[in-house]
Amino acid sequence: MTKRVFLTGLWLIVTLELRQRVRGVSWYVLLGIFMLLVGIVTFLLWLATSAWLSGGGGVFGAIIFFVLLLGTLVSPALSGNAINGDRDAGTLATTQVTLIGTGQLVLGKFLAAWITALAFLAAALPFLIFAVVLGEVSLGTISVSVLVLAAELGVIAAVGVGLSGILTRPLFSIVLTYLLVAALSLGTLIAFALLGTATQQDATSVNYQVVSSTYDEQTGKQSDIICSTAQTSTYPVPRFDYYWWILAANPYVVVADASPGSFDENGSPTDLFGQIAVGVRGAQTPPALYSEYNGCDEAANGYFDEGASTRPTAQETYDGAVPSWFIGLTMHLLLGAGALTWAWRRTRTPATHLPTGSRIA
Amino acid sequence: MSATTIFGSDGIVPSGIAVTGVSRAFGSVFALLDATLTVPAGSVTALIGPNGSGKTTLLLMLATLLTPDAGSIRINGHDPVTEPERVRALMGWMPDTLGSWPSLSARAALQTTGRMYRMTREQAAARADALILLTDLTDFADRPSRVLSRGQKQRLSLARALVHSPSVLLLDEPASGLDPAARAALRQLLRRLASEGAAILVSSHVLAELDEMADAAVYLSDGRTASPEQVAAAGASARAWRIRSLDDAALAGALAAPGVVGALVQVLGVDQLGTLVQVENEASAAALLHNLVLSGVPVCDFGPAVGNLEHTFLDLTRERPARHSSIVVNPEVTP
Repeated sequence: MTKRVFLTGLWLIVTLELRQRVRGVSWYVLLGIFMLLVGIVTFLLWLATSAWLSGGGGVFGAIIFFVLLLGTLVSPALSGNAINGDRDAGTLATTQVTLIGTGQLVLGKFLAAWITALAFLAAALPFLIFAVVLGEVSLGTISVSVLVLAAELGVIAAVGVGLSGILTRPLFSIVLTYLLVAALSLGTLIAFALLGTATQQDATSVNYQVVSSTYDEQTGKQSDIICSTAQTSTYPVPRFDYYWWILAANPYVVVADASPGSFDENGSPTDLFGQIAVGVRGAQTPPALYSEYNGCDEAANGYFDEGASTRPTAQETYDGAVPSWFIGLTMHLLLGAGALTWAWRRTRTPATHLPTGSRIA
Repeated sequence: MSATTIFGSDGIVPSGIAVTGVSRAFGSVFALLDATLTVPAGSVTALIGPNGSGKTTLLLMLATLLTPDAGSIRINGHDPVTEPERVRALMGWMPDTLGSWPSLSARAALQTTGRMYRMTREQAAARADALILLTDLTDFADRPSRVLSRGQKQRLSLARALVHSPSVLLLDEPASGLDPAARAALRQLLRRLASEGAAILVSSHVLAELDEMADAAVYLSDGRTASPEQVAAAGASARAWRIRSLDDAALAGALAAPGVVGALVQVLGVDQLGTLVQVENEASAAALLHNLVLSGVPVCDFGPAVGNLEHTFLDLTRERPARHSSIVVNPEVTP
């Protein structure tokens, strides 16, 4: 099969899928409702964040998240029965006996599902542009967020189409796609929190305290300080740093972390995505398992925050950590590619193995 | 029976379908145990068997959708397992399930199928128009196929199987849901395609219909094809003939009289269509007719009660519970 023939057949499947699934009034009604919802959310965010003063950074991030939310809610329903639904309708086998290969079939259905999901992103574009017009959103943030969001919608489309090829019953594959989306969106948060707090380790802290001293009211200084012996105490600390990669698999985290962070002069993040990114990357840092506090030193020399100079700023934490979006997106792409490959193997004809209870035609 | 050969572009290519010793199991259930058959080019072969005998499984394997566990299949010399694409290019398959893209019109569905066979847009459009005429779908061609009736969908399915002018046709129950006119048209179409050189395998339960169009028959029972010897024996076995007379009393009298009914003939009963008699072979049927006419019985109808295919089918599957028990045995008439 030459490349040209392959692409022609692939595009034929894509257009056939689009004509089959997303044509008609109901589809446009759905898009209309979606636009209305994004519009309402944009307006409320504009009011809530006083965006006319502070810029559109918050509005932009929230719209991107909202599109991701709705995209992940709609996409499984549109892609999760792509292959087994056709088998039920009796149109899969009649396609397979033509010169359309299994690769074209699976890939074409995936592309059609992805394009369908991207229509939602396109419908949200006017509002994203509005947020940009409000200002304070860099071009880098815009392009990266939109691209990564598009990739995430593609992953969900791939998982949906993949599961529809792996499982026999459309209902199961749709439900499983939803469960997988829920596992990534909410499950990762729960798993991260639970695993982190369940994996506790004892940290040691050593304290020296002032037993007695003379306080000079004129100078406000202490003298004749008698110090206590070292008082060692241990306490458990959660080890979130073992599980940061679970958080990295969250699609919202991927989208947030991928956008180039913008920081102010104190090294603090300036937008929603930056705050999330700093939080997620901060989880990579292991907790301090040994700390020392010398109250006598402080009494003698005045309060001095020893950590202030050595403690990293948010920006330093961000820059020093592994970019978690890269890990997360790689995991997602492998998941999507794996699901499609598995579906391809299961759909290949002539079939050597039939799943129990399935009928090939 | 051996496959005939024609001169193809790349030398001598055995044409038609050749299946040898094919078996296939689904888990522990055997769908096919030993199927052997040939369908030469330019002929129509009927595939006959009770429900669950493996007909559809066999057709799925011929249609490159399923691999056999053992045995070999050749479609115009190509193996569907190792060269599925070459087989698909020359094979048309009409499944027993009515599947059509619900939101596409019949015309769009045929055009899309043509494009799936790598036709250009123009070729596919022209072919779709021709097939719509051929299968008499003109009035419904531009309606979404979900509003088509069963018979119309069946015709669309046939048209789709013909899109790429295949030289091998596999039809699974093509006549179900068709009205008598459409059945006649189907029969004529298949005969014409066969006369143009196509090898056609038709599975159906309407045996009388197959009788009229099939050149040969393959009997499939419990996953095995009947051997030619079995088929010959079953075809030659005693069978029921139906006699109708203008004078029922005269016929009954003649049949009861000694000498008219020979040793090889046995009266089975009387139904609204006439009297059924069991006749050992065609020679004794001729003798019986001769005697009846000599006795002055006004015979107006004398012929086999069931068609050749049905008779053979019923005989081959006799050990199973009878499905087509049209013969009512009346003990009062039976001597």
